[in-house]
Amino acid sequence: MDNLEYIESYFKGDLSAQDKIKFEQKIVEEKDFAEEVSFYLSIRKVSAEELSAERERFREIYQQYKVNNEVIPKQPVLLRKMWQWAAAAAVLAGLIFGWYAWLRPVDPAALADKYIDDNFQELSVTMSSRLDSLQTALDLYNKGKQDQSLKILESLALQDSIAAEAKKYAGIVCLQMEQYDKAINYFSQLSSYSLYSNPGKFYQALTLLKRNQPGDKQQAKLLLEQVVQNDLDGKETAQEWLKKW
Amino acid sequence: MPFNQLTHRITDQDIIDSLLKEGNDGKTGEELLFRQYIYFTDQAVNKYRFNDDEAFNIYADSILVAIDMIRKRSFEGRSSLKTWLHQIFHNKCVDLLRKKTSNKNSVHRVSSIPDRLLQMADTAKTIIQEMIDKTDKDLLLQKLQEVGENCRKILMQWADGFSDKEIAASLAYKTADVVKTTRLRCLEKLKQLYKANKTN
Repeated sequence: MDNLEYIESYFKGDLSAQDKIKFEQKIVEEKDFAEEVSFYLSIRKVSAEELSAERERFREIYQQYKVNNEVIPKQPVLLRKMWQWAAAAAVLAGLIFGWYAWLRPVDPAALADKYIDDNFQELSVTMSSRLDSLQTALDLYNKGKQDQSLKILESLALQDSIAAEAKKYAGIVCLQMEQYDKAINYFSQLSSYSLYSNPGKFYQALTLLKRNQPGDKQQAKLLLEQVVQNDLDGKETAQEWLKKW
Repeated sequence: MPFNQLTHRITDQDIIDSLLKEGNDGKTGEELLFRQYIYFTDQAVNKYRFNDDEAFNIYADSILVAIDMIRKRSFEGRSSLKTWLHQIFHNKCVDLLRKKTSNKNSVHRVSSIPDRLLQMADTAKTIIQEMIDKTDKDLLLQKLQEVGENCRKILMQWADGFSDKEIAASLAYKTADVVKTTRLRCLEKLKQLYKANKTN
């Protein structure tokens, strides 16, 4: 036992440098002592292997578990909490977005912008007794030459046979040129015509929404309600907008 | 069989009863216990940031200690098997974490003889290495099985790099000194058993 403690002290590094040399000298000089040292090391190795073998009989179960339940290393607590907060924030943002998208009243001006983008980027003639002039005006508009287009349309608006059509397009060109007052005037005149299809009131409401001066929204709303009630051109769009108002 | 299905059906008493049986039933109990709380290893990976091998070793060691204590009737059932085993497991995790952090030792890495011999002067080293090579390892392993279960457990823990204090905590010995005395006696006993066979 004394030798075992002595051997252990050597391998633990507890001996002084001088005692360490003595220990190693003893190995060289005394065979029995050397055998004790070799035994100490051998039993340590064999015991370690024995422990390893004991563990190994569970290895297969563990590997099966790992396959069935792949461990995804979790983040540290703080980071996990941050993820939880981020998830909560995302849900909240989703709810807000949902409310914004579906429940919150839509700005009527935005509806007007979309309508103009969808319908007034390019114009085409639907009917005309003076097709050439009207077509020329619309071609110029489609090429971005709004000023020249408007001049032709203003001149056509003076001719009774084509005035309603010319005023409609003149109003549209003015609307695109942000000459809202002129546009409203043209659309107002258009709405007074007795036509099979007359978008005058709807366009007037559209322009009021774009102008967006005090009282314009209220007036636009009244006009849209009239469009719906009188089954005028733009009724479906007017209904949709009024629902979102 | 999915582990979660299995774990819902097995009670603490089922496992204990199985462990206390002899032969294959006892082995089944060992596997049941291992499977029952195997998810502790996730904690070792996620909470303590151990790798899979370390997590496995810690959990397997905890199970081996638990099996030993249950068979010795040291588990009194004052807490659930889960709570009790988790405490053993947690202590082992902390031990390893402490050692890894302080970098004092390489626990759970089987300490090889060549590593230990590196400390030695060349002449002595050669003598010892030759003697080790001549050691009958099979016989030594056989004697390790004969030296008694307590000795075997202590020696295995010691060989794995645990200090006497840690072995005392792990195997429910009163003090580190008791472990040291017992361990040295076990080594002596094993040496005598081995020598007796070699001379025969």
